[in-house]
Amino acid sequence: MGFGWRFARSESVRYAVGASDWKNRDMSAYVTKLPIRKELDTAHAAAMAEWSAPGTWWTGAQRLAIVAEVRRARDAERLAPWQAPSLVEGAASDSHELPSPIVDVVWRLTNHPGTLTADWYTSILARGVEALAYVEVVSIVAQVNCVDRFADALGLDRMSIPEAQDGEPSGEVPVDAEVRLHWVPTRDIRGPNVWLALSGVPDELTARSRLSAAHYVEGDAVFADVVSDRFSLQRVQMELVAARTSKLNECFY
Amino acid sequence: MLLGLSGRHQEGEVTLDVINGSTGGDGGVMHGRLLNRLVEAMWEGDPGPLTAACDDLLAVAGVDVLVDAVAVSANFHMMTRVADGAGTPLDAGTDEVSEGFRHEIGVNDLVSRRHVPTA
Repeated sequence: MGFGWRFARSESVRYAVGASDWKNRDMSAYVTKLPIRKELDTAHAAAMAEWSAPGTWWTGAQRLAIVAEVRRARDAERLAPWQAPSLVEGAASDSHELPSPIVDVVWRLTNHPGTLTADWYTSILARGVEALAYVEVVSIVAQVNCVDRFADALGLDRMSIPEAQDGEPSGEVPVDAEVRLHWVPTRDIRGPNVWLALSGVPDELTARSRLSAAHYVEGDAVFADVVSDRFSLQRVQMELVAARTSKLNECFY
Repeated sequence: MLLGLSGRHQEGEVTLDVINGSTGGDGGVMHGRLLNRLVEAMWEGDPGPLTAACDDLLAVAGVDVLVDAVAVSANFHMMTRVADGAGTPLDAGTDEVSEGFRHEIGVNDLVSRRHVPTA
């Protein structure tokens, strides 16, 4: 059996939809003969629709610019971690209005996540980035890395970037958001620290959780049930894939 | 840590050094070496090895396993960026329990350890 079909390009679907349309069962992220589970396909389509909508800190156009910049970073010649793409001629796109520190965050987090330090984070804030606005960027970058790497590995076309939806960011700050154990502000809620990481921007925590449920395990079951198989994989197989991926990304957590 | 916990509930022993790469065996995990090769090829992104890794896993485990393994790895490209982007410390209980095997799996020297606060 060969895997030659991964080069038979699929057709991705172009979106011009509202963020709420992800609930439409007819909406697909990919057209392919691969047996991609419905919840995966739906979750990816939902993610793209939500990236195109205004978030808490960034407009739909800015959020889509982050998506495009992640792709640019992944497809470019690799820069060293200490090289800021905003200072390298021709590295970052000049067709959007993302602030230069955000461009640098996108590239660094995409290509060198294991090299991030508290000093680096502090330097980003010193360039005028609000801490919770940074959290939203982290969330989008992380999600795009998930969705696009899935497509790339299976030879699927990455989802097309849609038109941005109009509207302004909500600017909502949870009353209990403050810096606790993480670098970034988090809410005073219970859960493993990695779940709390995006809690300062609740919509991003929800979006990340929905992707994880489709790709891996429902949130409550991650630690509560380490036995049950899921989809076609044994749980121990899933944990090997998880651990090896985390090690390659040099993630201590 | 979840690899070790989930491995206790199957026949045979899971050896944690399987996390260190595909050059060894399966580590007590069904198709473990091929799953590692797939993950490594996804991380590298080179089309040739990626196609070969997909082909080999597909041949022995089937297309559903291939798609689901890709999905899990993609999820952890997300989770690692969430964790490290936010400066996430180990959970208190995890920190203590994992102390004994962190050296074995080669993570004690990671930058992402040195720069997170200890809970």
